[in-house]
Parts: sequence; C-alpha cells; structure tokens
Amino acid sequence: MDLLRLVWRNLWRRKLRTFLTVGSLVVAFFLLCTLRTLVTTIQSGADAASASRLIVQSAVSLFVDLPQSYQTKIQSVPGIEGISKWQWFGGYYQEERNRFAQFAVDPAETLEIYPEMQITEGSAEAFEKQRRGALIGTGLVEKYGWKLGDTVPILPELFPHPDGPGIAWEFEVAAIYEPTARNFDPNMMMFHWDYFEDTVKAGSGEAPGVGTYILALEPGADPTAVMGRVDALFENGPQRVQTTSESEFQKQFVSMFGNVPFFVSAIGGGVLIAILLAVVNTMLMAGREQTRDIGILKALGFTDGDAVKLLALQSMLICLVGAGLGLLLAQVTEPGIAGALGSMFPGYAVTSSTYALGAVVAVGLGLFAGIAPAWRAARLDTVQALSAKD
Amino acid sequence: MKLVPLSYNLRSLIVRRGPTLLTVLGIAATVATVAGVLALQQGFATLYAENGRADLAVVMRPGATSEGVSSFTREGALRIAKSTPEFAVDANGAPLASLECFLAVRRYRVDGGETNVPLRGVQPATFAIRGDELRMSEGRNFVAGTDEVIVGRSITDRINNCHVGDVLTINVTPFKVVGVFECDGPFESEIWGDFDRMLSALDRFGPNRVLGKLAEGTDVQALDARLRESRETPAAVTTERDYLTAQTEVLSAILVFLGAFLGLIMGVAAVFTATNTMLSAIASRTPEIGILLSTGFRPLSIFLSFLFEAVLLGLLGGVLGALLVLPLNGIQTGTTNFQTFTEVAFGFRITAPVLLTAIGFSLALGVIGGTLPALRAARMTPTEALRRQ
Amino acid sequence: MSQQNGIQLRQVTKTYTRGGETLRVLDELDLAMEAGHFYALMGPSGSGKTTLLNLIGALDRPDSGEVIVAGEDLARLSRSELSDWRAGNVGFVFQGFNLIPVLSALENVMLPLALTPLSKKERRERAEFALDLVGLGDRLGHRPTQLSGGQEQRCAIARAVVTDPTVILADEPTGDLDRDSADQVLELLRRLNAELGKTILMVTHDPHAAESAQRVVRLDKGRLIGIEQREPAAASMTEGAS
Repeated sequence: MDLLRLVWRNLWRRKLRTFLTVGSLVVAFFLLCTLRTLVTTIQSGADAASASRLIVQSAVSLFVDLPQSYQTKIQSVPGIEGISKWQWFGGYYQEERNRFAQFAVDPAETLEIYPEMQITEGSAEAFEKQRRGALIGTGLVEKYGWKLGDTVPILPELFPHPDGPGIAWEFEVAAIYEPTARNFDPNMMMFHWDYFEDTVKAGSGEAPGVGTYILALEPGADPTAVMGRVDALFENGPQRVQTTSESEFQKQFVSMFGNVPFFVSAIGGGVLIAILLAVVNTMLMAGREQTRDIGILKALGFTDGDAVKLLALQSMLICLVGAGLGLLLAQVTEPGIAGALGSMFPGYAVTSSTYALGAVVAVGLGLFAGIAPAWRAARLDTVQALSAKD
Repeated sequence: MKLVPLSYNLRSLIVRRGPTLLTVLGIAATVATVAGVLALQQGFATLYAENGRADLAVVMRPGATSEGVSSFTREGALRIAKSTPEFAVDANGAPLASLECFLAVRRYRVDGGETNVPLRGVQPATFAIRGDELRMSEGRNFVAGTDEVIVGRSITDRINNCHVGDVLTINVTPFKVVGVFECDGPFESEIWGDFDRMLSALDRFGPNRVLGKLAEGTDVQALDARLRESRETPAAVTTERDYLTAQTEVLSAILVFLGAFLGLIMGVAAVFTATNTMLSAIASRTPEIGILLSTGFRPLSIFLSFLFEAVLLGLLGGVLGALLVLPLNGIQTGTTNFQTFTEVAFGFRITAPVLLTAIGFSLALGVIGGTLPALRAARMTPTEALRRQ
Repeated sequence: MSQQNGIQLRQVTKTYTRGGETLRVLDELDLAMEAGHFYALMGPSGSGKTTLLNLIGALDRPDSGEVIVAGEDLARLSRSELSDWRAGNVGFVFQGFNLIPVLSALENVMLPLALTPLSKKERRERAEFALDLVGLGDRLGHRPTQLSGGQEQRCAIARAVVTDPTVILADEPTGDLDRDSADQVLELLRRLNAELGKTILMVTHDPHAAESAQRVVRLDKGRLIGIEQREPAAASMTEGAS
C-alpha cells in the first residue's frame, strides 16, 4: 500500500536521525537482553539439577568439611544406590584470574552418578586407572587448549603441596567430557580422591575432610525420606549435616547473590526509561516535521485513521528494527560474553523467553512512542496543517 | 570575535521545551543509572578501606588470601601472640594480641534464602585492641567463657534469630544473643562470641588469625619478612587496612567495570538522543542562523553557541540525574563478597567522586552529542540558510 | 443536471477568533455556481476567498448555512464521510504546491488513487496518463525538489485530476510562479475545463490570471459583490464537451 511506502520514505527523510535512533535502540536492547540473561543465568543453575541426586553438606557452614567416617554410615541408609566424596580444591591455573571448579572425587562412582558427562576423548577406564589422572570439560579444552595426556599444574589455595608453598599440584588429562545437559558446567576438572588424600596426608599428617557427599537415589526411592534419615544420623554432632536435593543445593548459591538480580533489574529499568524518552523524542520531532504532509493527505481524502497509521507505523518500524538488531547483537556476542564470564556464571545463554520479552518490549515501546504524535496527527486541522512550515 | 549571547540558547531551550525536557530526562536516566552503580561501589569500598586501621597487624598463614582460608595451630598462634616484640603491651605488660577464629556460617535471611554470615570468636584482648570501635547499641557485651553472642547492627533485621533475647544455634550448641553492636567497618555484618566457646561449638581446634596492636614505629614489612621465615609457625603480616582493602578488590573491580560498561553503552544512546535533538533544533532555526551569519557572527561563534546549548542540555541532565540518585545515599543493601564468600551489608554512598563523575559524564555527553550538529550549523552559508524559510 | 452538479451556498456564515477578536469572514453568503464552468474568485485580502474555497472543498465547515456541492450537503457529513467525499469529488491545487517531498512525481500523483479500489497497475497507468497530460511524462521519477516551480505546480494539477473529480479548487495556483510558468498552468486549467468539463474555482489576486476564467466572482468583507461574465473563448467548447 502507498501509505507504507510513505512510512518508509519518511524514515529516510532524516537518515541521520533514523540511524541514530535505531542505533540507540540497538545498544539499549543489547544491554537489556544481556542484563536479563545475567539474571536468568544466575537463577538457572537450579534448573540443571537432577531429581535423582542428593547432596550432603555441613549444616553449619559451606566451609566446614565432613568426616570421612560419615561415608559408611550414610551408605547404610536404604534408598541410596551410589555415593561419592567430593572436595572443592579451589586452585587456579598459572594466574589467579584463571579460576574454575576443581574437585577431588571418587572417579568410578562420580561417572555413574553423573550420566550428563559424556566422555568424548580418552576413556573412563583411563581416568579411573591413572592415579594423577584428571577428567576435564570441553570448556577448559577450548579455553586453555589442553589435550589428552597434557600435564596440568594447578596452584593450590586451600591445600598446599607437601613440597612447599607456591608449588603446583600436577594432574594429567586422562579423559574429556562433554555435557549432554544444557546447563551442566563444561568448565570442571575432577581428579582422584586417593591421590588427593595421600598428598594432603604427606604434608599435614591428617586426612582431608569431605566437602560434600553426592548421593544417587535408587529408582523409586523417596528423596524426602532419604534426606530425613541421613540428617537424623548426625543430629547430635559431631558435625550436623544438611541433605538437600541438587536443585536446593544450587539455590543456595543463587541466594548468595542477594540483591544482585534486583539491582540488575533496576539498571534495566533505567535503560528502558532512557530509550523510551529517546524514541518519543524522535517521533515527536518526526510528527512535527510531517505536519504539512498530513494536511496534504487529509485534503486528498485520507482519513484521520490514515494519519494515525502513518506515524504509528514509523514508530513501530523504528522500534522493531532497532530491537531486532539489538537482540541479534546479543545473540552474536553470546559466546564471547559467556567466555568472558567464565565459570563465575556458567551457562550464560540468552533464553527464548528473553527474546520474547525483548519483542514484547519493542512492540510496547513502538506503540507508546507513536501515541503522542499519532494523536496529534489525527486531531490536526487540515487547513492549519497545510500552512505549516516544513 | 563576537559571541552569540547565551540568552539566545537559554531562550531556545525554553521555546523547544518538549524535546529539551525529553532529552534532559533521557540523559538524567543514564547519568542516574551509572551514578547509582558507582555509589554502590563507593559504599562497598569505603566500608572496608576507610575503617581498616593501619596500627593493627593481621597475622595469617602464608599464602592465605583471606582469614577464612587461613589457619594456625593453637600453640603456634599463642606463640605469635605472646612473643612478638612488635606488639604493643597493656598497662600490665601483657601484649595486645588476640587469637580469633572465623567461619562463614549458614544462616537464613528474614526474607527467605540462605546466606553466609561471618561468625567471629574473639578473646578479651580484642576489645582492648579495638577500644571504642565497637559500640553496644542494645543489650550488653557477651561474658567471656559463656555461650553468649553479640550481633552487628546491620544484620539484626536481615538474618533470622539475631535480635536480643533470640537463641542462635551454631552446629549443635545454642547461643544466646545478648547485645547488638554498631561499628563503622565490615564487622557490623558479623556475629561475635567467645573464642574458646566458638571453637568448641564448631568442633575445631585452632584459630584462623592473630590480631595484634602494633607498637608505634613498627616496620610491618620487616615483621612480615621475619615471621615468614619462622621455623615453627611461618606467618604473614599485613596491616588491617591493607587486608580489608584487598578483600574488596574483586567486587569493586566488577562494580567499576559494570559502571563503565553501562556508561559506555547508555552513553552512546544518550549521545544519539542529544544529537537528534540538536539537529532538529538547528533545522527549525535555519533562518535564524542565516540572520546571525548575515549580521556578522562568525561560523566559530555559531559553532560555540550550539555546542554550548548541547552542553547545557547535558549539564541539566547531569544535575537532574545526580538529584535522582541522591535519595539512594545511605540505603542499606547486601550481597556476597566473592572473595570471602560472606554476605556484607553496605549502603549506597553518594560521594564527591560519584557526583563529579556524574556531572563530568553528562558534560561529555553534551559535548559529544553537540559537536556534529554545531558543525553543521557553522558550515551553513548565510544565503542558503536564509533561503530555507 | 448542471444544477445538480453545481455549487450552491445558502446563508453561509463563518467566523474565526484570533487574538480574542471575532472576525466574521463570511457573512450570510449566498452564491450559486454552475457545473462545467471556470470561475475566478477575486477580492482584497481578508475578503474570505480562501475560506470559501476551504468550505467548498470540505476542509472546513461553516458556522451556519448550507454548502451543497455536486448534490451533497456537506454540513450533514461526518468527519470520515467528508474524507471519502473529498477523495471522490474534489481536487486541490495550492499556491505552495504541497507535494509530499519524500515521494517522486509519479508517487505523488498515485497517492490519491490509493483510496480507490484500482489495482496497482491501473493506478500507475492513470498517474502516468495524468502526468503526460500536464507535460511531465518525462519527469516521473523526479522528487519535488528536483522540479522547477512550474513543474511542481503542474504535477500538483496532475494529482488533482487523477481521481477524475468534478470540481477542481485552486488557491492562488500562480502566486509563486514566474510569468511563463504561470501562463502554462493557466493554460492547463483552461484545457481541463474545456476538454474534460471540470468545474474550476480559482482564487487569485492577479487580474491577468483571472482573464483565463469564464466568470469572475468578486467578494469583499465576506459578502458577494457580484459575478461578472467574461467573453469566454471556450464557452461553446464547454457545451460541446458536456
């Protein structure tokens, strides 16, 4: 229809202005999309959780270990199929900023408990057999270029090497896993509990404690009942435990972010207000410039509704194009941002709900910014509009 | 060179009040967002840095980056506390040094969710060292050797069971909350109790750190070097101020980065808006520009005049944005400090650097946004400008 | 038939309020104009010429009285009915041309056809025909800024006739033009009247322009002074055409 052509041509009438407005929209929607993705990523950790796994940790503190002697007691609880010791190693590779998750684990049990880790290079046997063997995720392979057979030195922060301070623990890459579940962290490294324990003992003379016990439930077992029974075992000490589902376990980390999601949303609000004002400003300027055009259209027999359409469509088109490019930018930069955030925000991924929300906001913005100039255009008196200056 | 009177710009901003207002508000929203993030960083950073004392020594295991990961045997720590000549002594000649244990304990927020609250066991010497840094605002201090605790003011209303009279269970031992204290530093987010009772409740044996008051004129680096070489108990020494400052580096850097990132991206949008507004102002004032040029104003005067108008737009936005964030000053909030993995409560602080950054930022937005349109105006020829009536 | 297609104004009054002062621009005006004739409307500034034109073109409504154009009493129509009526019955030619700057000559002329059920192809053909008629067949793709004043006005005339209206209303169509361009425009209007039988009402200051018309209506202070019959060279041709 010819009105559409007029809409299009009017957008090109002030190329620079249209470009600048669309440009503002692009950066604003990119920012909104990125901010919301940060929030959804913080909150999505819990989504990856499996219902068939339970985590036993200290009820006192995240930083308190459990005695190794708890393992046999926990194993005796009916409904548990497998159990593995886990300890957070908390080291880094070469520099402090190269941090990722390292765990000392029971290798065979861990591979059984986590079917989400599909071994793509090396083999489960190699990992289980080699004493200093490590299982690493594809994320680490991409980031540090490690390959099968490489020796990886990790500088410890919590467990000093017996040979002295500042000496790295050395592991050999025995297997590489790829996560088969979307939110499963591909940046983890796991190594043998036995090697860990012996090395720690050689230094301090004491066996290390267990950070968490990971339990796999028997099919059909009632998780709540198992949790209750495990917690009851240590009700009177020496170290009380707290058994939770995997998702509850993840949620405690989400909860630690405290008000961060709220802040991020508040920032998003600021961005939205700024961009709304920018588009309204542009549309009001456009509407004022096209006053005489609207007078001509009305004199030719076009209705008030056509005048409304002319401006509302311009507003909508600007917003949709700007938002579309902004969302596209967010999508294109997704791998880069995910890489930059690293293991602090594993699984940074723009969700389809974020795209949908972006689209809804864009349409809302387009409607809102079009209202004032369209309303004015509808009410314009033809005779006065015709005498307006360009 | 004759300059175009500034009143000309002021008047045209008022005449075109619609676009002026929208642009100013847009810049204000941008400035306010960036200033808000910076105020958060200031509140966080100053909480630590300004309240750490340079005359206190924090002694930890070498290699430990925070007290949570530091540990000593009781004997080793006692040896450091008792036989370090650099520590000041009290009236009775006893060294002003104290063993402290520290653990981030699992607690529940009043509004739901778990968090990690720092729990600190201290010896009586700690209070002698701290003097009036801690002020009891409610109840009384705990009695040494008993199962009593005191709680920092900023967590009483945020964390469950933290009011005077409540019972706070640590592992399997119930502790009674007997007082609430105020303190300018990060301690106000902590729970304090007796050192030995805490160790016993937590089923632990040794302290995390030794806190000592340094005698005047102590060379901290020399002390650090000497203790590191110790055969029985190697230890690292920093002043409390340096220690606390180091604890804020990561979160501070994240907030500064976030502020800069937002400033850049939102700044681009704000500059575009300012450019649009100025372009439209110039388009509608083309004949006026023609008149100015034909009465003898130089292109440079025209350029400066429009640039000034854009800067004025930016400044108005900056001032409004600063006013918008001002009410945030002092509002308390909290998040986890990822270096210590504990929750800290801190307030927004609108400091002079925050305000100066906000105003500077808004001026920059005005200058950048105004340059292109002002150039366009200055390049017009009088005849061309007059013709476009 | 000519009675039915003509223009009748009965007791038309129109007032404007400007600066707190009420101006009676048209004062109980009675006027009848026959279909198929070329009228010039003259009078001093403020005599109500343009207001009269706007009322006949349904751009404005009278305070009281009847305006009947092509058999339709305009006062009875709603705002949107007036839009439809304009689209089908009148074509406007303005002093300032009023072409849409972002559209080409062809697109400007096609614009009013967007309101008709014609296909895109038919619209294009009609618009090209209209531009040929005004002598701009070789300027289809030019934007208004690329045309001379006279060409712009001829393009505007093409736009006014492309919907085949019965009435063409021209407000000082030669006011912004040099003598040669003005003559071309006037010649064009004469041909539209003579060859296509259009009723033309042209407001003008210029006695030279008024000479093109068959009849001259004179207004002063909102009242009709008189209608004078000129010696129309084209009068017989008008009858022949209708």
